[in-house]
Amino acid sequence: MNQIFFLSPLPWWAVLVIGFGVLALLFFQLRSLRERLSPAKSWTLIVLRGLVYGVLLFFLLSPGLIAQQTIKLRRSLTVVVDASQSMGLPASPGPAQIPNSRPTRIDLVKEKLLAGKEPLLRRLARDYELRLYQFSTDLETTTAQSIPQLKAEGRGTRLWEAVREASRRAGPGSAILLFSDGITDREATPTAEAPSLPVPVFAVGVGETRGYTDLRIADLNIPDFAFRGREVKFEFSVRAHGLAGKTVPLYFNHGKSLIASRSITIDRDPFETRLSLSYTPREIGPHSFTLSIPVQPGEAIAQNNQREFKVDVQRDKIRVLTLSGSPSWNYRFLRLALKQDPSIDLVSFVFLRTPTDSVDVPDNHLSLIPFPIDEIFLEELRNFDVLVLDDFSHRSYFNIVYLEKVRDFVRDGGGLAMLGGTRSFDSGGYAESPLGEVLPVEMDGKSSYEIGTEMRAVLAPAGKAHPVTRLRADTEGNEQAWKQLPALTTLNRVRRVRGETLLLANANGGRGGAPLLAVGRFGKGRSLAFMSDDLWRWNFIAVGGKESPQHHLKLVRQGVRWLAQEPAFEQVQIGSIGGARKPGEKMDFKIRVFKDDFTPASNATVRLRVVGPDGEEFPLEATAEPSEGEFTALFTPAKEGSYRIEAEARLAGRLLGKTSKNFSVAFAFEEGSDGRPRPELLEQIATASGGEFIPISAWNEKSLEAMATRLEKIAPSEIVERHQIQVWNTLWGFFLILTLLGSEWWLRRKWGLI
Amino acid sequence: MHRRDFLRLLSFALLAASGLAPRRAGAAHPRERSRPLQFVFAQIRYRGGDWNPHPLAVTPLMEELMARTSVEAHASRHEVGITDRDLFSYPFLYVTGKYDFDPFTQEEIETLRRFLTYGGFLLADDALGQPGYGFDRSLRREFKKIFPDKELSRLPSGHAALRSYYLLRSVGGTRIVHPYLEGIQVGGATPVIYCHNDLGGAWERDPLGNWTNACTPGGEQQRRDAFHLGVNLILYAMTENYKEDLIHVPFIRKRLTR
Repeated sequence: MNQIFFLSPLPWWAVLVIGFGVLALLFFQLRSLRERLSPAKSWTLIVLRGLVYGVLLFFLLSPGLIAQQTIKLRRSLTVVVDASQSMGLPASPGPAQIPNSRPTRIDLVKEKLLAGKEPLLRRLARDYELRLYQFSTDLETTTAQSIPQLKAEGRGTRLWEAVREASRRAGPGSAILLFSDGITDREATPTAEAPSLPVPVFAVGVGETRGYTDLRIADLNIPDFAFRGREVKFEFSVRAHGLAGKTVPLYFNHGKSLIASRSITIDRDPFETRLSLSYTPREIGPHSFTLSIPVQPGEAIAQNNQREFKVDVQRDKIRVLTLSGSPSWNYRFLRLALKQDPSIDLVSFVFLRTPTDSVDVPDNHLSLIPFPIDEIFLEELRNFDVLVLDDFSHRSYFNIVYLEKVRDFVRDGGGLAMLGGTRSFDSGGYAESPLGEVLPVEMDGKSSYEIGTEMRAVLAPAGKAHPVTRLRADTEGNEQAWKQLPALTTLNRVRRVRGETLLLANANGGRGGAPLLAVGRFGKGRSLAFMSDDLWRWNFIAVGGKESPQHHLKLVRQGVRWLAQEPAFEQVQIGSIGGARKPGEKMDFKIRVFKDDFTPASNATVRLRVVGPDGEEFPLEATAEPSEGEFTALFTPAKEGSYRIEAEARLAGRLLGKTSKNFSVAFAFEEGSDGRPRPELLEQIATASGGEFIPISAWNEKSLEAMATRLEKIAPSEIVERHQIQVWNTLWGFFLILTLLGSEWWLRRKWGLI
Repeated sequence: MHRRDFLRLLSFALLAASGLAPRRAGAAHPRERSRPLQFVFAQIRYRGGDWNPHPLAVTPLMEELMARTSVEAHASRHEVGITDRDLFSYPFLYVTGKYDFDPFTQEEIETLRRFLTYGGFLLADDALGQPGYGFDRSLRREFKKIFPDKELSRLPSGHAALRSYYLLRSVGGTRIVHPYLEGIQVGGATPVIYCHNDLGGAWERDPLGNWTNACTPGGEQQRRDAFHLGVNLILYAMTENYKEDLIHVPFIRKRLTR
């Protein structure tokens, strides 16, 4: 309806004065006309003039009109459907043993949207500008045609992120109709942020909480790796719904062996308890563990009663066993070097007395202990990483067959070092022993042991880049460091080196010389031979020369680490694993390969494979990188679980080394593990955003109307347009005045006044 | 030169002429011919006082060492000055004396400090046996300069040096001034051990094989303790706290409780 208004700046009293003036003027005009015309004609002319004055006076008030126009709008509505795995769970509680017998949560949503004579989706499309999305970890556009095929396959739910993104795309004046069970990866409820949403959320909760029964193992706090011989703790929670009053057993298995069990009394509903179990691994490598609770009657999800995980057991310290033929300065300073290194655990036996030595006191006045031959060689040797035979011969102490155990120890991955002396190499009877093939040198059978000639160590070509003999990082500095070391005075001569010669003993100041330090490999293990018992001189004599003992300490420690196959001393190294370590996301591996002398092996052949959680194998293609000796490979895991990458490198057909590394792939949360719907979360979001929460079972025609009414308040479905018209400024006013004045003029002319 | 030293030298000269002189440095023990020498007993030669009160003390100890243990040792001692170039070739040093001696030079102090800090061992033996006088007074003065922030302190009866070979319950020597040893701790080791009981006197034997000095009041048992202690200290120097390793502890405890 039009409304009139006046815009004149004149005050009302001025208009009255002008009005009275007009009336006075008309009165005088009437008296003048009455003198010449009849009363009727006079009044006719006065009325016409009065109307003209009236219109002008009306225009003087600057009259305006407001014209209104109502326009109907199609409002925007965003429908968002949760398609995560949890929506594939049964909509109502019931025993897990009868799968597929009841509609799932997503079935219920589809039914609600698509069923009936006039499906809800069609009605919404008719009444609203409709946008459709599905979500799990990401928000994705979908269509009405795709809804019947929608599957609950998303491996996670980022509910809050999806709602926030949908509201951003919808813009103000819109609303979100959300179908979800409320299960999300976020532990914290996002209600603090919900009011900041620009649109209200009408959340339709799917899934029944009443009668929901489930028991699950959750919130595992498991270290990726543990140390051999050290207790490792596994923390986790047991959560239960609908099982109050029951007592259930919990089993903790290492592989297939039961190592612990607990009895858990569920004394409340909902129930949650935090538990901790521990285990001390004795072997290095991947260890599989299982936590399980028998499935209880009525449980919604059976799978979450069991959790499997792997722990990579590593050595915390390198365990070194030394056998010394007698007390010596070599032992003294070897011990110093090893004992001062916190990453090395040293057990040493020094034979203080030979069988021919006699004592003048009873045995119980001596501190000597019997050498536990059987215990060491038959049981404990495998628990060591490195065995050092320091001027030690087995001849006087035990049968040669025990050396077979040492050979097996090296073949299986152990490290063996033999240090020179009169009881070592040939002189110790090792040429014909099982260690003859293990050592990196071939003995000449002459028991050659030289003493008295001063010899200096010279780096052999293979020693220049080898990690054992790298005293300084730069090549020149390293060679200089070796030149500065004190001379040695003893040497065990060997026929030749089978492995790599790292150092030569030179008496003439030249570059050649007899082998002094050699390294090699045997089976999975490594061996090292140092053909002198003067190693200590590189420590204490250097100190006397006001040099540092560091070169001796470094050589000993690097030798031990190389023998123990520390990752940094392996020829095939798996570097950092890049990527998010989530199913469906690419990961990249970096592998470095070195030759025997530890120069980069850029032309090596690298074989890679990943072993999945169920033992499935995935061969990977290794790509050589411009960086020498570096290879990369890509892998996309399909599912969660513990994986292992295995790398093997060969050069000209010869094996350089093998290595492996465990890694786990998992989403940051446990979709499908906890199936209990979270209506309370949906309600919080809906309420805080100005929307409403409606359980799907309660959704009906009234819900739709209620949503429309709520939406009407914040975003009306029609708008009113208003126009302002200035009446005096229209042609109609001009023609009216012209008509009145024209009529008056015509009558005056007719009645003879003009 | 003291009258006693003069008579000693005279007797050496006479015995040398008769072929009965004790083996000197460089003389070979039967076992030395085929084996290198792992151990050399090096004795510090210092200025002033009497650095050599028992010139024949070392050989009996070395013979004892080789007879009882697997250590291959040089039969006689090696005399060394603190600033000698080859000092660090002998990680075991022995210093003894009776009287006050001249203060060490700064170079000698620094060399000894370096020697003892980086793995060397020094056995000090007071041949006079008078705490606060003579050798004892000078030695303590010098140790104060070598390790200003450390004290010579009494070693516990369970110290590794007393268990490195024999399980020792008493400290021998020609006289029992103190029934214990003193030492200086550096890190986890004891690179300086000091005996007040004149160990060298108990070890010494004349060229005819007779003991030079009587051991009082314990007699031959006390002498035997001195030899045992000498052996233990040499093995301690070569193995450090080896006998404190966990593997030895239960055995040693068991034997000590018998």
